[in-house]
Amino acid sequence: MTAPTESGIDIWADDVLVDPYPTYASLREQAAVVHLPKNELYVLTRYDVIRDALGDPETFSSTSIGFNPMVNEALQGTSLASDPPIHTQLRATLSQNLTPRALRGLKVVIDEKADQLVAELAASGSFEAIDSLARAFPIEIVADLIGFSGHVKDNMLRWGQAAMQVIGPLNQRTQESFPIAGELYGWCSSVTADDLTPGSIGRGIFDAETRGDIPQGSAGHIIHQYLGAGVDTTIASIGNIIALFGHHPGQFGLVRENPELVPAAFAEVLRYWAPVHIWGRRATRDVEIDGATIPAGAQVGILFGAGNRDPRHYENPDTFDVMRNPVDHLSFGYGPHGCAGQGLAKLEAHAIIEALARRVKTLTISDEVREPSNITRSLELLQVTKVVAA
Amino acid sequence: MRIQLDRPRCEGHGLCEEAAPRLMHLDDDGELVIDVPDAEGADLDAAKAAVRVCPVAALRLAAA
Ligand code: HEM
Repeated sequence: MTAPTESGIDIWADDVLVDPYPTYASLREQAAVVHLPKNELYVLTRYDVIRDALGDPETFSSTSIGFNPMVNEALQGTSLASDPPIHTQLRATLSQNLTPRALRGLKVVIDEKADQLVAELAASGSFEAIDSLARAFPIEIVADLIGFSGHVKDNMLRWGQAAMQVIGPLNQRTQESFPIAGELYGWCSSVTADDLTPGSIGRGIFDAETRGDIPQGSAGHIIHQYLGAGVDTTIASIGNIIALFGHHPGQFGLVRENPELVPAAFAEVLRYWAPVHIWGRRATRDVEIDGATIPAGAQVGILFGAGNRDPRHYENPDTFDVMRNPVDHLSFGYGPHGCAGQGLAKLEAHAIIEALARRVKTLTISDEVREPSNITRSLELLQVTKVVAA
Repeated sequence: MRIQLDRPRCEGHGLCEEAAPRLMHLDDDGELVIDVPDAEGADLDAAKAAVRVCPVAALRLAAA
């Protein structure tokens, strides 16, 4: 048995989290699996190895998707943290309301809201894109979907950020976020059908529980997963759309001229800047990868962003190219746990990109600010200093 | 090769239909229908592409 090669880097160091791509490149060149003793972790760095691992839940178990024991304990019984065959059942209940066919009715409303918001911002001359667009839009859509308003809506950003942060190792960011993630958990365990708007999907999930269509007590869990997994990630991806179009005006021009490129452009945004930095698995047996062995029981870390830039899989991977259409990117994961909310994320992001293509001629950005964060990689501030309406 | 669909796993994301429109489509209810289950020649390449892009690994190719 040959042990995997080691690297002394700390994958959660502030500078790595803010700009992980140079680190990803060196780890990927080092090997497909690299042992990081500082993090007590084996990271997967290349496209094929990551995809194979995501497609093999028997070898790579989801019982350790988080990087501290407390969060894994708290997530027990959720789809996210279960393995087949239990996962298969939980997933069916969870995804029922998120499949593209279930969401079809929402498209018109989402498109209208995106168009209205982007038209207002385009007319304003300049704006800060994270608060006014990347955060405002998904929070409004998810609030409508679940059917909540008021203080819950006000807390959604903090709660969603904390729910992702606590998946990290027991560093200061995780410790500070546990009480906040607990508020979200508390709300989801105490919410009842009457708290949610009649006709909303959230209300429908409770009605399904009352009818006995889904197990007693599962409605709160499902809503918790929608909010925990679906808010911070979508916010990151929408902020990234604006930033990448700002950095690459020629690419934005291509989308403006060819609106049929919208889905390809979003896939490329996701490939180029993965919203989720790292996600966990546990090796259930000794696993040999390229002649090196990950020992049974070891914590594994999947670096989606490293796989997305693997030159063995994508040509010129460091080029942002809206014509590429990388439908097989890894940012939504893959296989049995592949993102259950990708239909909704695409509805939202496509609506925003279409609205930008229709309403905006050019945009100039500055002041891109990132804060280090354990799991989600997103912008904290992004000033659009000049926007010219179409 | 025969295209096999794991029906419970399919959520109707529709990427397979884009990769292999001659072989499969989503019906009006968003359910996947395999129109050409046995793919050979040029169809086989399209079938492989469809299997590859399924985000939840619900499609497989097996010996016919
Ligand atoms: C651009 C936005 C999004 C990104 C990048 C993203 C990313 C991911 C990734 C990487 C996974 C796989 C986790 C694993 O393999 O263990 C996942 C799973 C999941 N996502 Fe998303 N997600 C996004 C949006 C959403 C939305 C909007 C929702 C719901 C409303 C959502 C709900 C879920 C759920 C419930 C799972 C767990 C599925 C399972 O365990 O079977 N996500 N997501």
